[in-house]
Amino acid sequence: MSEERDVHPDCRNASNPYHECTDYCFRVIAEAKLRMQLHHQSEVAQASGGSRREEAIPNELYPDEGTHDDGPRPEENSDSEPDQPEPAQENMEDGSFPKLSSRQKKWMELRAKMQEAKKRNQIEIANEKKRMEPPTESRGVSKQKWLEDRKKKIGKLLDANGLDMTKAYMLDTQEAAEEKYKKWDKDPAPFGWDVFNQRTLYNAYKKRTKNIEVDVEEYNRMKEADPEFYRDASSLQYGKAPKISEDKIDKMVQELKDRDAKRGSFSRRRKFNDEKDVDSINDRNEHFNKKIERAFGKYTLEIKNNLERGTALPD
Amino acid sequence: MRICGGAKNKNYGPIQITAEQIVGEARELEESVIHRHHRPPKQKINDGTELGEYRLRKRKEFEDLIRRVGWNVKVWVKYAEWEESQKDFDRARSVWERVLEVDYKNHRLWLKYAEFEMKNRFINHARNVWHRAITLLPRVDQLWYKYIHMENMLGNVVGVRRIFEMWMEWMPERHAWLSYIKFELKYKEIQHARDLFERFVLCHPTVASWIRYAKFEINNGDACSTRNVFERALDKVVAAEDDEEAHKFFVAFADFEASCNETHRAECIYQFALHHHVPKGINC
Repeated sequence: MSEERDVHPDCRNASNPYHECTDYCFRVIAEAKLRMQLHHQSEVAQASGGSRREEAIPNELYPDEGTHDDGPRPEENSDSEPDQPEPAQENMEDGSFPKLSSRQKKWMELRAKMQEAKKRNQIEIANEKKRMEPPTESRGVSKQKWLEDRKKKIGKLLDANGLDMTKAYMLDTQEAAEEKYKKWDKDPAPFGWDVFNQRTLYNAYKKRTKNIEVDVEEYNRMKEADPEFYRDASSLQYGKAPKISEDKIDKMVQELKDRDAKRGSFSRRRKFNDEKDVDSINDRNEHFNKKIERAFGKYTLEIKNNLERGTALPD
Repeated sequence: MRICGGAKNKNYGPIQITAEQIVGEARELEESVIHRHHRPPKQKINDGTELGEYRLRKRKEFEDLIRRVGWNVKVWVKYAEWEESQKDFDRARSVWERVLEVDYKNHRLWLKYAEFEMKNRFINHARNVWHRAITLLPRVDQLWYKYIHMENMLGNVVGVRRIFEMWMEWMPERHAWLSYIKFELKYKEIQHARDLFERFVLCHPTVASWIRYAKFEINNGDACSTRNVFERALDKVVAAEDDEEAHKFFVAFADFEASCNETHRAECIYQFALHHHVPKGINC
C-alpha cells in the first residue's frame, strides 16, 4: 500500500516521503514538460533528420541504444503515435487530469518496457562478447577453475548426445583411450624396501649417463693407440689405467657434489605445528611420538577421542 | 589404626592437575637445564694448539662411541665423515677400513667409502675400493653401476668395457645387459652390440629378449638379419607357454613384415599365430 502513493516520479516534491501529488502538482509537471518539449523541438528542428521525438525524457534514453537491435525501435514508433496527439491535448490540460493520469500511466509503462529492453540488451552484449573473444588461458588460472570448466564442457557435450555422466568415457577418441590404457598399465612407484629394485637402479643409471658427452673422435684415437682395445674381463692388462685429464676429474667431482645436493631435496621439511598439543617431554620423545602416530594413528583415533571426551560413545 | 594408605575422604581434591600440565612442566625443566646449566659454552678456536685439542676431544668422543655402539654403522660413518671434514684422509681411510672389518656385507658402506675417495680426487684409491666391492658383493648391482659410471665420467672407455665384461660373466639381470648394449650403441659399435645380443638371448631366453633383439636389428640392421632373428625366435616362442608374450612377438613380426611390404608373409604369420595360440584380443 505504501508503494502505491499518488506520487508522480517527475514531481519536484517526489523525494518527500509524505508528499502526495495533487492536481496542482500535475499541472506544474505538465507545464514543465511543455517547456522542455518546446525547447527540444527547436533543437531537433535545427539538427538534421531527427525523427519525431516528442518526449524529452525518453530522448535521454535513446542515444546509447542507438546501435543496438530493434528492441526499442518498435517502442519508438509506437511512441510517436501517442505523442502526436499529446501536444494538441496538452494545451487543453487544465481540465483533463484523468487523461493525464492515464497518459502518465501509459508513459510509465512504456518507460518500464524500455528499461527492461535495455537490461536484456546488456545481457546479450555480454554473451556475444564471451562468444566472440578467444577462451582465456588455463595457465595462471587456478587448476580447480580449469577442472570445473572442463567438467562443464563435458557435461554439455554429454547432454547434447543424451549421455549420462557415468558414460563420460564414450566421448574419448581412440587415441585418447589408448593413452589412458597406457597410463593404467604403468607400474606404481615403488616404496619401502623396494626402492632400489632393478628397474629403478637402471633408470637412475640411465639418467646419470645422459649427461656424459660422447666424444667419438677421442674414442677412435684411443682405439688406434691401444692394440688391446676390446679387452676381455680376464685380460692381463688389469692394473693399467690411462692417464685421466684433470677436467674429467673435475667433472666427476662436480657431478658427485650435485648428486649430494639433490639427495637433500628428496624429502621435504615439514612445517612445525605450534598449536598442536604437546604430548612429549623431550625432543626424542617427540620424534618417537611422531613415528608412532604414523604407524598406529589411524587405529587409535577413536580411542583417543573417547579419552578426550571422557566417555566412550555407544556403538 | 592404619596411618598410610587409609584415606577416609574419597572425594576429588579441590585442586586437580592435568596430564598436559605435567608434560609442560617437564618440557620447561628440560629446556632450562639445557639452556642454563649443562650445555658447555661455545668456544672459538684461535690457533693450532686449540685446534689440536678440539680434534683430540672429538676423536676421543668418537672412539668412545664406537666402543659402545660398534654394531651401529651410523656412528662409524659419522666418525669417518668428520675426519674427512678435517681433511685428514689417512685417518678417514683407517676408519673406513675398520668399519669394513666389522661389516663388509653392507653395500652402503662400500658406496660411501668409494664416494669419499672420488670426491677427494683419489682415483686409483677409488678404483681399488670399487674393485674390492664388486669382488666381495657381485650381486649388488648398485656397486657395478656406480663403478661403471665413474669410469665413464673419466672417459676411460676401455675400463668401462672391462668392467662390463666382468659383470656379464656373472649373468646378471636383463637391465645390466641392456645398459651394456646401450653403452656400445652410444659409441656406434654395431657388431659388438650384435654379439652382445646373441649372448643376451642365450642368458635370458625369454620372448621379451628376442623381441628386444629384433627391435635392435630393425633399427640398426637390415631386413635379412631381422628376418633371421625372427625365424630363430619362432621355435622358442612356440615352445614357450606364455600367450601374452607370444602375442606381442607375433604382432611385432607381422608389423615388420608389413613394413617391408610383404603382406602375404604377414598374413601367414597371423594365420600361424591364430592356429597355434588362442590370443585374447589380437588387433590387426
